[in-house]
Amino acid sequence: MPDFSPTQYAVPLFVVAIVIEMIWARLKRPESYEPMDTLVSLGFGLGSTISGALFGGLAAYVFIEAYEYRLFDLGEAWWAVWWAWPLAFVLDDFKYYWVHRAGHRIRWMWAAHVNHHSSQHYNLSTALRQTWTGNFTFGLLFAVPLVLLGFHPAMLAIVGGFNLIYQFWIHTEAIDRMPRWFEAVMNTPSHHRVHHATNPQYLDRNYAGVLIVWDKMFGTFEPERDDEVIRYGIVKQLGSFNIVWSVFHEWIGMVTDIWRAPWKYKLSYLLREPGWTHDGSRETSDMIRARWLSGAHRDGNSHLPSNLQQNAIAPSEEAA
Amino acid sequence: MDYAPLLLQSAGSLVAILALAALAWWLKLGGKTALTDEHDVARAAGEVDDGFEPARVSISRGGNAALARDASGRIMVIKHHGNKFVGRILTPSANVSEEVDALIVKSGSDTDSARFGVVRLSLEDPAYWADAINRL
Repeated sequence: MPDFSPTQYAVPLFVVAIVIEMIWARLKRPESYEPMDTLVSLGFGLGSTISGALFGGLAAYVFIEAYEYRLFDLGEAWWAVWWAWPLAFVLDDFKYYWVHRAGHRIRWMWAAHVNHHSSQHYNLSTALRQTWTGNFTFGLLFAVPLVLLGFHPAMLAIVGGFNLIYQFWIHTEAIDRMPRWFEAVMNTPSHHRVHHATNPQYLDRNYAGVLIVWDKMFGTFEPERDDEVIRYGIVKQLGSFNIVWSVFHEWIGMVTDIWRAPWKYKLSYLLREPGWTHDGSRETSDMIRARWLSGAHRDGNSHLPSNLQQNAIAPSEEAA
Repeated sequence: MDYAPLLLQSAGSLVAILALAALAWWLKLGGKTALTDEHDVARAAGEVDDGFEPARVSISRGGNAALARDASGRIMVIKHHGNKFVGRILTPSANVSEEVDALIVKSGSDTDSARFGVVRLSLEDPAYWADAINRL
């Protein structure tokens, strides 16, 4: 089994694709890029690679140890078991859905993942806006069950790499909609624009990596509306292009909250959803959505998602 | 661990990053946006805090910043950030000072406010806003 990292080979393609999108932006939508924002996003990408090389050892150690306790053994030549590859890809994508969902719903995880969302722009450079601090969360634990099933850590790293490559191209406004059958099954630019939006009805939706079916199965899918202008970024926009602040702002905020909170609330500031406070002084995404829903109801609910228009007060949305 | 490949890869990536950012500048991507009227301010304020409806606004000359106050007395400062606008609702720890032709507003005393930075506004009615902010 050669030492193979698909993302390394994809980097030149990323660069070419960004150049092509910039030319499209020059011709069609110059405002879709902002040079300083692009610089910061690409800086995130470089820092993430360096951070992964420096701090990824713990995850590798955990996976290799866990592999010793695997339930099923694909043999010495595990990489030659052809059917294991698509199975690993789908299961890894299922894992990605949950680790990504946790990345939005648990503040400790959000502290690392927020970096990917803190741009007010949505273009291919945003895709490379990856975390520097992911190794300081418990996200790696989501992959342990797959290792225990018998998938070699290297196999999971490779299919995870292809998953990441797939997600690159969906970070664009240059593509409106894909064919209907494709939109039904796969994550697409349209679905992922919703994920990056701060519009109340779009908050914490569409966590999928490659297959959008996970969101449809677990009640977190929201289609993009043509009559709703998307606002990108985070609820409290940074207002700064300082990359160090961009990397650590949520970690600083979380640690500050834990430090100041009464003892019985300290763990909640680590494990509850972003925006949660013990005194109700800030809003979670659920609270923002509920406030928006009540306002939309008052105004005649014309902007409500179609599945919520019949009952804006008691929407059938998931409670997570 | 052999760091040489990592250093080489990082150096190559850095060159590519700077080249792409330079290309974005050269292509004149981004551009400038300005707040021209109260509708622009209301839209920007609504994006900062969904549901914020300004009852009174003042736009800084040049349209790069604004102050907005809603019916409940909350005051929001909005500033230019790249080709977007960002804002903060001012807290009681907000700080305001007046210079010859400008109002200097700091949204609060925490780290976030420090990183958000001070906003310099050139207004028609600075005294009104200075007084309102000091009363928060």
